[in-house]
Amino acid sequence: MDLALQLLFTGIGIGAVYALVALGFVLIFRATNVVNFAQGEFSMVAAYLMVVAVEAGLPYWAAFIVALLGMALVGVVFNLGVYYPLRHRTYLPVIIATIGASILLANSVLAIYGPQPQVLEGWFETPGIQVGPVYLDSQYLLIIGVTICLVIFNFWFFEKTLLGKKLQATSQDKEMASLLGISVSTMIMITFIYSAVLGGLAGILVAPVLFVSIQMGSTIALKAFAATIIGGFGDVAGAIIGGLALGVIETFGAAYISVPYKDGFAFLVLIAFLIFRPQGIFGERVAEKA
Amino acid sequence: MRLTRRDFATGIAAGIAAPYLIRSANAQGATIKIGMCAPVTGPAAESGGYAIKGAKLALEAVNKAGGILGKQGELIVEDDQTTNPGIVLAFSKLASQPDIVGFLGSIRSTQVHAMAPDVIKLGKPVMIGGTDPKLTHMGNQWLFRFRPNDSYSGRVIAEFGVNTLGKKKWAVLHSTDAFGTAGGNALTGALEKLGCTTFDQGYANQSQDFTPVVLAIKQSGADILGSYFTFENDLGIFARQLRQLGVNIPWVGSPSIVNITALKLAGPALHNTYGVADYAENSSEGSKAFGKIYRDSVKVAPDNQSSWTFDAINVLSAGINKAGSTDPGKIREAILGIKKFPGAEGEYNFDQNGDGLHGYNIVKNEKGAIVFDKHIEFND
Repeated sequence: MDLALQLLFTGIGIGAVYALVALGFVLIFRATNVVNFAQGEFSMVAAYLMVVAVEAGLPYWAAFIVALLGMALVGVVFNLGVYYPLRHRTYLPVIIATIGASILLANSVLAIYGPQPQVLEGWFETPGIQVGPVYLDSQYLLIIGVTICLVIFNFWFFEKTLLGKKLQATSQDKEMASLLGISVSTMIMITFIYSAVLGGLAGILVAPVLFVSIQMGSTIALKAFAATIIGGFGDVAGAIIGGLALGVIETFGAAYISVPYKDGFAFLVLIAFLIFRPQGIFGERVAEKA
Repeated sequence: MRLTRRDFATGIAAGIAAPYLIRSANAQGATIKIGMCAPVTGPAAESGGYAIKGAKLALEAVNKAGGILGKQGELIVEDDQTTNPGIVLAFSKLASQPDIVGFLGSIRSTQVHAMAPDVIKLGKPVMIGGTDPKLTHMGNQWLFRFRPNDSYSGRVIAEFGVNTLGKKKWAVLHSTDAFGTAGGNALTGALEKLGCTTFDQGYANQSQDFTPVVLAIKQSGADILGSYFTFENDLGIFARQLRQLGVNIPWVGSPSIVNITALKLAGPALHNTYGVADYAENSSEGSKAFGKIYRDSVKVAPDNQSSWTFDAINVLSAGINKAGSTDPGKIREAILGIKKFPGAEGEYNFDQNGDGLHGYNIVKNEKGAIVFDKHIEFND
């Protein structure tokens, strides 16, 4: 029982990271109908920005704000440089452009900062607390807390605010939104900024656990992408549930079946969903008329 | 001036022949070229940088001392991207240059396995740092190893843990790649010969979480841990989680446990651990000398990432000079004939398989400082 509780906590912690990145995938997919394969690199860039800001002598909270502002700027540049010029093309060139941008971001950071993995201290001085038989890593506690807050914020923002409703309208039908006077390009810009900040937030939060390295983004993004499919592509709640489920499944699979095949469990679940429920947990079945 | 048909034909012939003549001139040219596959990008990019620096420092010294066959040595580096396909591509690019006389391969056994078939096809000497014992025992006469292989590291870890630390209930943790599997098998084999019980646990490289691994070790009741980690990131994450989850048993690791990157990432989580190290700064005069050169130049403490490439360039250069030729067969014979060669990693005595080193150092992490304990040499 003690073992299961410890695994559950860790699984939820790592799953929350997948969920945060998956959320970025979903928001951009809803707004543009393309998958942004650079979403993982947003996490990596933000973590490096945080390291640079801390090394520059900024207090941790100020470095955090600077890193997130930097990510907002990355979102603007990404939208204008990668999505906007291709917005009238089919989804394929845009997806390829995001893959290219992902490689560009990774190699730019490598060229600027070098290959050295970096250590980023966590937000708390205490690495964790022991509650009965379970050790609660303070960074994972923070990640879980932030994910819960974001779920509540997203619900409030998309359901209760005018801007959120405009973003939803844009994601559902761009032409109709445009006819209603909504600036579609502005809404897409806001979506890219929000997604970049979300990805960045995930990167900054997970950096004290996984270290800051060029590869950290791609490692997380692959799992987050799987989580997005499991949850139901395009569904915000699905991304969260998919991410958490994936984290828990791979942690328990590793502990009770096989550690070397830990990644395999995540992708086995993904394949099972693609075969038996391709629309994911929350996705709706789309049928074509004959 | 009139252009005759003969002038035109001569001009065309010269135009066609010129690139070949220039290439041929380069082949017999002013420098002796050595190719190097190194991880410039990918998860091992940092250690790749150290490896390149080690090789360059050695070549500078060789050139100052008169060079190779009276010419200056030149290092041509190709990025292996820290992947198997990457090193195959990098090596094929280098192999296509006929004027490269020898090569430095990878410190990662899995990459050496990937490039080994192309090494046989090319038929030129390749210096390697991979420690899977099979690499020099699978009929590939062109591979020369500049680190002691894992049959030695396994025996040294086992003997130290059992005879010095007095522990007989082992957890053996290893990566599931070629290096980790070979190391894990070597350690388990050595422990069984010493009458120990072992709990074997593999893990996949680039894991983000080691909680299941730590809990499995905890539940196994092991009183000592032996490890073979391939990547420093993994080692850093594991070390931190091991201590956080309250596992404080003695830990004797393969050389990556004293790697500079691992020490930086894991910090205090690695304090009081032991490691077998092919490079230990105070283990010999050659090690001390390399340590000084490296620190003066790179401003970082040296480790095996740079020491093996340093030795590889020195031995390869000495081999070519001894052979008096760039003929691959003659260089091979010359390297195999090298005995009592003082290197940064120790004294090189090449056997007929191409293994130059036959022992390991035991070191301890004392609050982040790597302290040399003793050297254990084998005669087989």
